[in-house]
Amino acid sequence: MKLRYNSEIISGSVFLVAAVVLWLLIPSQINTLETSEINAQTVPRIVIGGMGIFSFCLLLQGLFTLPKHEVVVTRAALTSDKFRKELRSIVYAVIFLAYLVAITFAGFLISTILLTVAILIFYGARRWYYYAIPLAMVGIVYIIFKMLLRVSLP
Amino acid sequence: MDLFFAGLDTLLQWQNFLIIPIGLALGIVVGAIPGLTSDLGIILCIPLTYGMDPTMAILMLLAIYCGGTYGGSITAILINTPGTSANAATLFDGYPMAKKGEAYKALSMALFASTVGGLISAASLLFLAPQIAKITLLFGPAEYLALAVFGLSVIASVSNKSIFKGLIGACIGIFISTIGMDNISGTTRFVFGKINLMSGINLIIALIGLFAISEIMMKSQYNPRTDRKIVDAGSITKSKITREEYKRCRKPIGIGSLTGVIIGATPGTGGGLAAFIAYNQVKTTSKHPETFGEGEIEGVAASESANNGACGSTLIPMLTLGVPGDGATAILMGAFMIHGMVPGPMLFRDQGNILYAIMIGLFVVNVFMYLIGSVFTKFYAHITRIPYEILACIVLTFCIAGAYSTSNSLYDVYIIIVVGILAYFLRRMDFQLVPILLGIVLGPLAEMNFRRALILSDGSLSIFITRPISLGFLLVAVGSVLLFAWRNHRSKAKALSEAR
Repeated sequence: MKLRYNSEIISGSVFLVAAVVLWLLIPSQINTLETSEINAQTVPRIVIGGMGIFSFCLLLQGLFTLPKHEVVVTRAALTSDKFRKELRSIVYAVIFLAYLVAITFAGFLISTILLTVAILIFYGARRWYYYAIPLAMVGIVYIIFKMLLRVSLP
Repeated sequence: MDLFFAGLDTLLQWQNFLIIPIGLALGIVVGAIPGLTSDLGIILCIPLTYGMDPTMAILMLLAIYCGGTYGGSITAILINTPGTSANAATLFDGYPMAKKGEAYKALSMALFASTVGGLISAASLLFLAPQIAKITLLFGPAEYLALAVFGLSVIASVSNKSIFKGLIGACIGIFISTIGMDNISGTTRFVFGKINLMSGINLIIALIGLFAISEIMMKSQYNPRTDRKIVDAGSITKSKITREEYKRCRKPIGIGSLTGVIIGATPGTGGGLAAFIAYNQVKTTSKHPETFGEGEIEGVAASESANNGACGSTLIPMLTLGVPGDGATAILMGAFMIHGMVPGPMLFRDQGNILYAIMIGLFVVNVFMYLIGSVFTKFYAHITRIPYEILACIVLTFCIAGAYSTSNSLYDVYIIIVVGILAYFLRRMDFQLVPILLGIVLGPLAEMNFRRALILSDGSLSIFITRPISLGFLLVAVGSVLLFAWRNHRSKAKALSEAR
């Protein structure tokens, strides 16, 4: 399968759809009782409308005036270095999202220790002090915030 | 003049000279931690000042305020995350300088420009306070909107690659700023039934997500074995500011300091806006605007002189009129009252000697800030030598703890991660984050005053062009956008003709 694209086509399409969805959500999400023409909906309508118009312009620019990349989707492409690098970004994002689940249940200290270890493994750190320094820092931050700043971390 | 000398006499006590460095050190540390602001530093230290005399107490809090505003530049330069919102414009050139191996130079310029801006601001507070207060009183909603538009005109100069992406970014930023409860009508907007979103998305939370988390995400493809640069310890402090660079930065520091003084004295604005406007003006009037955003030392000089230039002048409306200009001055106003001083016109008459001691003390604060900063800048610069995988973990820990501490809510931690991941994908699609940031910073100011102005004028847009100050700001904004577009067009045409 052959794909021809550029970042303008992708971002223009994504934000055009987002603008349309947000525009349709305005009446339900901004339920104002104001009767004047200038009300709580005015500025959101201007910026969402603006987002839609500029996204449409960006899409047209991407489709008709700017050069496009061509990608042929094959089994070999899925094992290429480039694809692996992209996959690393997704794994990184998944680590962050997993952290959000962990901090909800395990609190700051345990979840941040796990996050630190996960990131260091992700980067392939082998030396012991690569683990010791950030882990000590988690403890120090916890103590500073809890004792000195009186912020009770979860 | 008698009050001046009485103030000097009150100031010249050893306790004051001891408390100022302590306040500055605390402020710099608080400012340098993303998520913690000088506002929080002042709040935390107010109880410590109960037993002090008023001069000593206020000087300590002012030192935290000034130190925090300077301290935010350290992380902006070293890890692409402004410690406070006032340092957001320092990112443009500070971080690219650090990436080029000029972190020490950028930090030194940030310190120098902050000190000069702070000293000019202190002078304005001491000598021009009543006159400046009178001018800023002429500002109404139309003028504030024009000021916000003036700030938003920066988008044109930071969206070189695609103006449409810049404009979409600004729309995203302003949209984010509208989330939560509307300040005028009390209507909730885009909260999707979540109580935590009622108070909106905090600026500092958005900043951490947009810059710190997305920056860490951008390094997801970093390979320590092949991408690590071994930086020699000696080379870190080698790149010092040259005499020629000091000379080049005189104009940016002048523009930045004056912009800081004027914007800072205008209630409801603050150092962040001043820094953006100063940066844009310096870039627009520069002979080499194409170098801005690529690690131009003049950019760091402009933004840092502007945000510290606003520090002293934000006290002008508070001290002369009893109107706090921003969050930090509102807290300082509370501290004044705790120590038996009620800000306003009567303060000069009733407690003039203390007031003059504080105003002269602001000079001392800035001088001490330079001395302390000079000693520690060398150490800060070595942060760039830490292996990235260790630095990423430490930065993440501070960001998460800082985000949580903003309102003691896990919700803010969720927001920084989600905003960070989204910002990463935007960056991968060649979007600049600065227009989004500008939208978040200036959106509330623009919206509130746009609506107020239209209510005052019965819906007529003519209010923005019939008031001279508003018209002036709008003309300068349009002028700077046109000037930038013309220069951009000229440089592209030149490049095309050279290619042929």
